[in-house]
Amino acid sequence: MLTEHNIWQLAERYADGTLPQQELDALEQKKASDSAFATEFNECLNVMRSMNDAGKQARFRNTLKDIQAANTATAKPLRTIPLHQHYWRTAAVAAGIALLTSLSTLWVTQHNNNKMASQYSLLKRDLETYKRSQSRLINNIQQQQQNTPAAEVRYTGTGFALTNDGYLVTNYHVTEGADSVYIQSRNGSYHKAYTVGYDQKADIAILKIEDKDFRFGKGELPYSFAPNKRKLGTKVYSLGFPQDEIVYNEGYISSKNGFDGDSSQYRLQMPAYPGQSGAPIIDPNGNVVAMITGKDASSEGTTYAVSSKALMTLVQSLPKSNNIKLSKSNKLNNLTLEQQIEKLEYYTCSIKVYKK
Amino acid sequence: MDTEQLLLTSLAMGDRVATEQIYNQHYPVVTKWIQNNGGAEPDAADIYQEAMVVLYEKSQDESFRLSCRIGTYLFAVSKHLWYKKIARQQKSPGLLPDSAEYDDNRDWAYEDDINAHKERELYYSQLNTALEQLGEPCRSLLKAFYHEDKSMQDIATSFGYTNPENAKTQKYKCLGRLRKIFYNAGVK
Repeated sequence: MLTEHNIWQLAERYADGTLPQQELDALEQKKASDSAFATEFNECLNVMRSMNDAGKQARFRNTLKDIQAANTATAKPLRTIPLHQHYWRTAAVAAGIALLTSLSTLWVTQHNNNKMASQYSLLKRDLETYKRSQSRLINNIQQQQQNTPAAEVRYTGTGFALTNDGYLVTNYHVTEGADSVYIQSRNGSYHKAYTVGYDQKADIAILKIEDKDFRFGKGELPYSFAPNKRKLGTKVYSLGFPQDEIVYNEGYISSKNGFDGDSSQYRLQMPAYPGQSGAPIIDPNGNVVAMITGKDASSEGTTYAVSSKALMTLVQSLPKSNNIKLSKSNKLNNLTLEQQIEKLEYYTCSIKVYKK
Repeated sequence: MDTEQLLLTSLAMGDRVATEQIYNQHYPVVTKWIQNNGGAEPDAADIYQEAMVVLYEKSQDESFRLSCRIGTYLFAVSKHLWYKKIARQQKSPGLLPDSAEYDDNRDWAYEDDINAHKERELYYSQLNTALEQLGEPCRSLLKAFYHEDKSMQDIATSFGYTNPENAKTQKYKCLGRLRKIFYNAGVK
């Protein structure tokens, strides 16, 4: 009696053409006499061959994309922006800000965590709400850019790099139920990302950018992650995307525990707006101490952020094969705030979530 | 063996240099035609790449011999794909091919190739759906082996198996699960 393992082995050698004549004959005989075996064998062979062919075709498609990208890069014409296109951008940003202001009270509160009922606002930006008025403008912009996903953006959030080669982190509630997730990097290009791990309770999701050659910046991450909780009153700042451009905010740690005494969170005194979910909270020495997750709905300026410790716990729980090595050196601590921000901009990105 | 057949044989093996040569040689004519017929540049590049894939799939059959020049084939297939795309967008009967310089009554001659291509794409997407339903590490492992062409040795190292033999056992298990999903989904 052949085990499933044997059948796959047999099918693989058969597909490779490395089965000696003797075994080949035996195989044909068995197939003729045992129809159940014949079906199983054929299915195995079919799956294996299909995977092989599909894989080869995928590699070929990648080669084509590569060639195309190389050609576009070398034959780049001078960049001229037609006037109307120029105004589209201005108009879109203006409309974005206007709508954002007018709708800033309509924050999304849907979340399946009971404790976060009405007092806790999640800060992903719901674009569906003003889709009618704004999406046309946004789409017009997007058509000018290459590699733009076809569907419409439903939510936006913020994310920041865990490693330079494409691992990043954001809130679980930002990517929850998404059909696809794209990040927009500093130069405006879109990159598809997929989830490699998450912790719903702590509201953390770790993503990886599909493109293997993607890099956030020139070198390794300039910041490190604070391994333990920072003291009450520590000054902190954040960079996030409540609009299409990166926005700076500052404040301080106002409590060592977060919403409802949650010890995995901090409570901060800092303004936060929809779209800033997943924004890094950084101390003056350039250590990431936390990530924004939500705000207090009843009082202005109270923001909750999940600590970098919870983040590191999740990273450590992922399979080793992901090979995430968090940066231990900090290249920001001797820089001025402006210089720190300049560096950080490369490693902070806007996250666009697509949903049917 | 003439140059074109040699190029095709190298293309069939996924050779980068040959692919690049074919791609760049016919790119301007084809994409210019599409752009003259209402396509934007990215559309044109997409259609052209699809035609390259059709050619690649045809070249996988060892007995395959092209009855015309590579450029003619790519042009005809691209045109056909483009008309189909427009027809889909407009939901009206496809525009009749215009009588541009390349027209030689061959425009619809590759209907079979294109239909076969469509079917294959559908089949691959079903396979891919099944693959996406596999949990980790199976999905990544099979992708590493089949899509990225990694060796079992590399896979054993990066997935943390003690030796390639163990990784192989895991690969067979994953294939077994893939087969169950694929065939239970009613795909034959």
